[in-house]
Amino acid sequence: MLSTRVIACLDVHDGRIVKGINFVDLKDAGDPVEQANLYSKTGADEICFLDISATHEERKTMFDVISKTAESCFVPLTVGGGINNLSDFRELLACGADKVSINSAAVYNPEIIKHSSDKFGNQCVVLAIDAIESKIMPSGYEVTTHGGRKKTNMDVLNWAKQGVENGAGEILLTSMTTDGMKTGYNLNLTKLVSENVSVPVIASGGAGNPKDMVDVVLKSGASAVLAASIFHFGIHSILSVKKEMFKNGIHVRDCENKK
Amino acid sequence: MNLIIIDYGSGNLRSVENAFFNSITENNLKCKIKVTNNLQSITNADFLILPGVGSYPDCKKGLQEIDGLIEVLSEQVIYKKKKFLGICVGMQLMFDFSLEKIKTSGFSWLSGNFKKIKTVGLDYLGRNFKVPHMGWNSLQLQYANHPILKNLNEKDQYYFVHSYYLENNEKNQLIASTNYCHEIPAIVGKDNYIGVQFHPEKSSFSGQKLISNWLKWQP
Repeated sequence: MLSTRVIACLDVHDGRIVKGINFVDLKDAGDPVEQANLYSKTGADEICFLDISATHEERKTMFDVISKTAESCFVPLTVGGGINNLSDFRELLACGADKVSINSAAVYNPEIIKHSSDKFGNQCVVLAIDAIESKIMPSGYEVTTHGGRKKTNMDVLNWAKQGVENGAGEILLTSMTTDGMKTGYNLNLTKLVSENVSVPVIASGGAGNPKDMVDVVLKSGASAVLAASIFHFGIHSILSVKKEMFKNGIHVRDCENKK
Repeated sequence: MNLIIIDYGSGNLRSVENAFFNSITENNLKCKIKVTNNLQSITNADFLILPGVGSYPDCKKGLQEIDGLIEVLSEQVIYKKKKFLGICVGMQLMFDFSLEKIKTSGFSWLSGNFKKIKTVGLDYLGRNFKVPHMGWNSLQLQYANHPILKNLNEKDQYYFVHSYYLENNEKNQLIASTNYCHEIPAIVGKDNYIGVQFHPEKSSFSGQKLISNWLKWQP
């Protein structure tokens, strides 16, 4: 039986881990390579690096972080942030990333999803959607870019469907309203997208405790759950999240089965 | 021993190299890894690995673009009996054909073909079956005493990411299967060659066990 995945996300800026509330007021703590290895050894089913660096110079540091992580981290590695073209894509995969998540670049240049999935396969193209509530959008949610700062006048559900049609193999769906709030995932948003696209949907934004993960799987049908700060600051471990999920009838990968 | 990871422009060569390097080091094996498409190196190799991510037609095209590669590979594996591992699309290419995008022929080392995963009904939590079949899944060991399965059990899980599955295969070549909406062959093999539908290089501790089994296997 397929396990529901628990994904640990690391927000990285200039080679260091950060995690802030709603993507501003960032706190610095830790080395991403070491942290990714710890997560993979303690049961994370995937690691996701979100590079929030701005400049090209800083991005070079990220390539180095990915290469080093991939040497000893034998779980799938997704990298997102600042990907603008196919050569960024190729470079990340060559460093050892397994999947690349695209967000703003896909909004401004939807062709990139098609081109990258044609070139590298849809298994490695993750469409990241940052959603906010909107009364004027048919689905009730609008796509934003730049960490939620810019609205796009695009409907989340339409965009998700279009992304899948163009070749995205997975959707990383973040509720910007709940991101960093630790009040739980956005259940309505996740359910809406999960039920209407054919590819796996990763729920993101708002995990505060293991029960939130259980809820978004049971009530919204998420294929995977992603969290950053609750793991990063040691509030909850991956093991405690998986135990809670298992207790609630959700099949997870046994992370104590090491040898 | 020389282990060659065949480079034909497809995918996650670094990940495969890293995972095999780790296993070689941890098991104190004397084995050198080289990532190449040089035909002479492939001819001189002891063990061969064909990785593969992306679509079936693209992978096939990538192989065909290297003049003589498919012929040399078939000769080394089928006639010279070199130990071989096909991973994901690398495994799929060992069979007759796939219907992904457009019907494309493989090497026909084994009989069987690939078609789109069925998504009938709902899973145990009432969710739709999504394609790709993406994530960690356990194996049903069909040929439990095969050396490749040593120390593995049904608690071990492997990372899958694929949309097409093997059908019309020979049952006696099925080593392990998985289940996602329906049964899906996960490890297949004959004589000196094995194919895995999942990614052992991305399957953490369980993947490392399988990799070390393959490295130590003497077909």
